[in-house]
Amino acid sequence: MTEVIGAPMRATGPVAWARRHFFATWYDAIFSVILGALIIWSFNALISWAFLDAIWTVENKDQCDHGAGACWAVIQDRGRLILFGLYPYEEQWRSTLACLIVIVTMVLSCLPSFWSIRRIPILWTVGFGLFILLMRGGFAGLPLVRSEQWGGLSLTLFIFCGVFILGMPLAVLLALGRRSSLPVIAKGTGLFIDLFRSLPLLTILFAAAVVVPLLVPEQIQGSKLSRVIIAFAVFFAAYQAEIIRAGMQSTSQGQEEAAVALGMPYWSLVMDILLPQAFRNTLPSTINQAVITFKETSIVTIIGFFEVMASGNAAIGSGEWGNQYVEVYVFLALIYFVFVFGLSRYGSWLETRMRLGHA
Amino acid sequence: MHNTAISINGLNKYYGVFQALKDVSLDVADGETVVICGPSGSGKSTLIRCMNGLESYTDGTLEVLGHTVGDDTKELDRVRKRVGMVFQSFNLFPHLTILENCVLPQVRSQGRDRTAATVEAIDQLKKMQVDIHAEKFPDQLSGGQQQRVALARALCLKPDIMLFDEPTSALDPEMISEVLEVMQELAREKMTIVCVTHEMGFAKSVADRVILMASGQVVEEGTPDQMFNDPQHEITKEFMKVVSG
Repeated sequence: MTEVIGAPMRATGPVAWARRHFFATWYDAIFSVILGALIIWSFNALISWAFLDAIWTVENKDQCDHGAGACWAVIQDRGRLILFGLYPYEEQWRSTLACLIVIVTMVLSCLPSFWSIRRIPILWTVGFGLFILLMRGGFAGLPLVRSEQWGGLSLTLFIFCGVFILGMPLAVLLALGRRSSLPVIAKGTGLFIDLFRSLPLLTILFAAAVVVPLLVPEQIQGSKLSRVIIAFAVFFAAYQAEIIRAGMQSTSQGQEEAAVALGMPYWSLVMDILLPQAFRNTLPSTINQAVITFKETSIVTIIGFFEVMASGNAAIGSGEWGNQYVEVYVFLALIYFVFVFGLSRYGSWLETRMRLGHA
Repeated sequence: MHNTAISINGLNKYYGVFQALKDVSLDVADGETVVICGPSGSGKSTLIRCMNGLESYTDGTLEVLGHTVGDDTKELDRVRKRVGMVFQSFNLFPHLTILENCVLPQVRSQGRDRTAATVEAIDQLKKMQVDIHAEKFPDQLSGGQQQRVALARALCLKPDIMLFDEPTSALDPEMISEVLEVMQELAREKMTIVCVTHEMGFAKSVADRVILMASGQVVEEGTPDQMFNDPQHEITKEFMKVVSG
């Protein structure tokens, strides 16, 4: 008879689990206690500040300075400024509606059922077109609001989406150009990409906003906002092109050969075979690039646009609410967090979905 | 009707200073099954890949179904629309279902409408006995199944010639026969076939002609019977001894 030796018994239950993970050695125990206390203390402090001791409404601003917690009344008072910037007060419903439309468009284009060469452009032409019409007005009794007056969250979203819509196709073209078998095109696009990647974004945007009007005839200058978005898109495209190129290179040579041998035309090889695989292969980097771009939209403040960050600064800059800057920044952080966290969750959902083979 | 499906004359190919093909001449008749074998690095894959323009050649002439395979991309397109190819590594499109793998090339390369293409695809998948996997993705199938899908995908385009570049070399031993069987079936139906393979069983059972290549040259060619039982050249004798174990 052979003696059967079972696996060593492992104690189960929460106590045993905690012992294994947090109190395995004496120094583990010390770190666990100290860190545990810190976490509980800060969580407690945060809850008290943000909720328990917080003041939600005030009759008079002085009340705010005497409370122990946050004074959210500032958001009530200045929320519209933060969300809409300098957009005319009576017309702010348009800005809200435009934001909702563009958010719905963003969400829809994230759904795999919309991923086709026909649906995505139609969706964005309609969504983005409605956004611009609503924001700009000047028809059907809607007063004209020039892009210089746009501000707040809708401006942030407008810049982000504009950069993405223009930048993504450009990135694809640049990536294809860099892979071209014609040396002139390959070297030319390579130089273009490297040039824009080696310049700081701020310099590029400044040049678009300030230098271009000095060099280009007025008729074709376009508005300052459109110039800035185009320049930002080129900058984005230079980075995204390299991501896409890496994605195309990581699809095996065999994919291209199979498509060629089957007699599929070049455009179909690119649109049906290479690009879908390139985007799938580089999804984490693409999401990363989108997140960076979303956060970098705040840089347009420098050239005089009141996107959501600048509007937030304006809300506390007037002095009345000068002491409530923490509340305003927390509010701003939450806005950014919602979008960026949504993007990264979406990214990991897609990755899981693709690992399972459906896409 | 062409009596000669593929006509190759004095083909040379250089990779830099290395000569991969040396003065190769070869004619393949309509309905003929030709097996190309030889030690690795003998240029057999390079030769078969020249036949549909996946590789370029340095000089010589190469005509397929009366079209010159060369720099003229229009001629090349005509050739590719009529010549199917199956690769060692299957090369199915991993982001598309099995069915879509077979439908998309028909739509894009021959402009067929989707409904007709789907009917054709299912028909071919049935013949290859992989139609139950139509809605799956390639990585959910075994190697043997994937290779049969690759064959179905190529056959959907109704090619006049099929090229096989080591179709069973990447397969587990137990899956080789299921792929060879469908290839043998194709040969019996008088499809024009050029196949690079080490599977001498396949060569013996259906090949009309066996060609042995070494160092970029055609060393010897003949019927399977001649090549296996009465090889003339030293290299052929050596090679046949190795492959027949």
